[in-house]
Amino acid sequence: MGGPTAVLPVSNLGCGRIYGRTANRPIHAANPGRRTMRRFRKERTNAVLYLFIFPSLLTVLIFSYFPVANAIFHSFFIWNGNDYREYIGLGNFLRLFSDETFRKSFVTVGILLLANLLKMWPSIFLAVFIHRVQHDGWRYFYRSLVVLPMLVPHVVVLFVWKFIYDPNYGPLNAILDWTGIKSVLSFLSDLFNWNVFFPDLPIAWLTTPELILPALIFWGFPWVGNVIGILVYLSGLEAIDKSIYESAEIDGAGPFRVFYFIELPLILTQIRIMLILMVINTFKNYGFFYLALDQNGGPAGAGMVPSLWMFNRAFYAGQFGYACAIGMALFGLILFLTWINNKYLRVDK
Amino acid sequence: MSVAKKKMKIPGGGWGSVKHFVILGVMALELFPFYMMLQISTKDNKQFVESPFLPNSVGEWQWDNYANAFRVISPYILNTVFVTVLTVAISLTFAVCGAYFFARHKLAGSGILWIVFLMLMMMPGIANIVTLYNILMNLNLLNSLWALIIVGVSGGQAIQLFILRNFIEDLPRDLFEAAEIDGASHLRQIIHVVFPLCRPIIGSLAILMFISEWNEFLLPLIVLRDHELYTLGVGLVNMEEGAAIREWGKSMAAYVVASLPLIVLFLFTMKLFVRGLAAGAIKG
Repeated sequence: MGGPTAVLPVSNLGCGRIYGRTANRPIHAANPGRRTMRRFRKERTNAVLYLFIFPSLLTVLIFSYFPVANAIFHSFFIWNGNDYREYIGLGNFLRLFSDETFRKSFVTVGILLLANLLKMWPSIFLAVFIHRVQHDGWRYFYRSLVVLPMLVPHVVVLFVWKFIYDPNYGPLNAILDWTGIKSVLSFLSDLFNWNVFFPDLPIAWLTTPELILPALIFWGFPWVGNVIGILVYLSGLEAIDKSIYESAEIDGAGPFRVFYFIELPLILTQIRIMLILMVINTFKNYGFFYLALDQNGGPAGAGMVPSLWMFNRAFYAGQFGYACAIGMALFGLILFLTWINNKYLRVDK
Repeated sequence: MSVAKKKMKIPGGGWGSVKHFVILGVMALELFPFYMMLQISTKDNKQFVESPFLPNSVGEWQWDNYANAFRVISPYILNTVFVTVLTVAISLTFAVCGAYFFARHKLAGSGILWIVFLMLMMMPGIANIVTLYNILMNLNLLNSLWALIIVGVSGGQAIQLFILRNFIEDLPRDLFEAAEIDGASHLRQIIHVVFPLCRPIIGSLAILMFISEWNEFLLPLIVLRDHELYTLGVGLVNMEEGAAIREWGKSMAAYVVASLPLIVLFLFTMKLFVRGLAAGAIKG
């Protein structure tokens, strides 16, 4: 990279030296010889530089790595979280297979995972819709509108939705009642012997075991609150070359074909990223279930998921060793799924 | 070049106005809960039961819902601001220093160290909470806001180092060499070269981390015992338990107040945020 020194946009640090390529510097300028500079630079580089990675490394080792190592270690023990440890080898892991709650929780989280897969699509569609708006002003407005859900803390959104599901005061029941859907549901419930919808009783979404899963799946309707996802999809869509759209128009492709054959393949990278994030989050997240239901997974444990069970065993049953084993199982599962995601959802441009 | 500069219309055909309806319809549904939150926050229980869906006129608004909310929530907000600001500041400082280390010089062991950090990005961090609690207990950090700060810092390092390293590597080497010839120490190089040029990405990372820390409630829930130390997440959870009769208006007002700081942050940083996210997404 040749060029005049004047191009470099950096201050001279108040030293008054002339810097730049040796060729540009006047020969008689007061600059030390190159060999001296190089040696000086190397000596100073080594020692001090390690200092710069030190705080980061230390924090990460103590508070990220060590807990994981510690968890792996303690998953082979019975542990009360404090001083008492009793080595039981694979005992905790064997217990996983006979633990009824754990197995049921896996089924639950599996169902929720499939539901979450479906819930990804409204965000994708909305991003495509916004992207295709012709008018620039409107597009900018919609783009800002979409960001609004992120302004509210997660806990608040959770509690507001809990209010929506409230049997006596929540809007959901009120709307179902007003539109007559509730009567239909009661009728079907009577017909198929569901025993959950009754014409005179308010629907207890979060306290009826059979209704928990539908309630959790419907939660967050219309499922476009994932602002980061939408923005990521939008930026992926905007990176698509306009000439592709032009040739599609010439070929006479309608809006659906354009989506399926052009837009979808070209944002597959973004979808893949959001997909793996979603999967990891589905398995990791227990805070949501803890707040929406309770530490036991709600009525009859219908909302128990493995991560919540881990939390429960540790902090409510004091079985820290077993909790570590549950954590290890989940950790292994997530790693496995990440590996599959990387291997089989390869996107070749 | 001129072809690309010409404004291209994406084919949508006659679907034009349908798009607007769909988008507005979906967003109306999505924002409905927040509308409910806002309009209920101005009512007391009696007014709420009378008119659950429609807002009352301003004259009938119950302002002491908000007075109560401010009174209850402010200490939580202060705590959360303390924790979040410190976490972001310390985390980014560590990350910039660390990224500088990796980006500028290939020293012995830097390869291994990089793998150490890279693996962190892969780790789902599910089993952490149990043993993390144990470590915090042993370090006597339980029931302390500093526990939240240091854990937050540690959590942010992986991604921030990754992104910052890419950014610093892209900076022209001449600038650094020039500064070095001038006799600038590494610290001065960072302050005078790295920081000014990386301002946009540091800004975006700061905002993202701010939001993520602001939303954190699990670790505070487990770690904090004293009510005075509660952060926003825990405070709101704590508020919910207790009262036999639900005062919907008061609860909703508290939620609105809890949302205000983020809204304020957004108003000031909106452009930076949207631009930064898009840039980060394309680059990444």
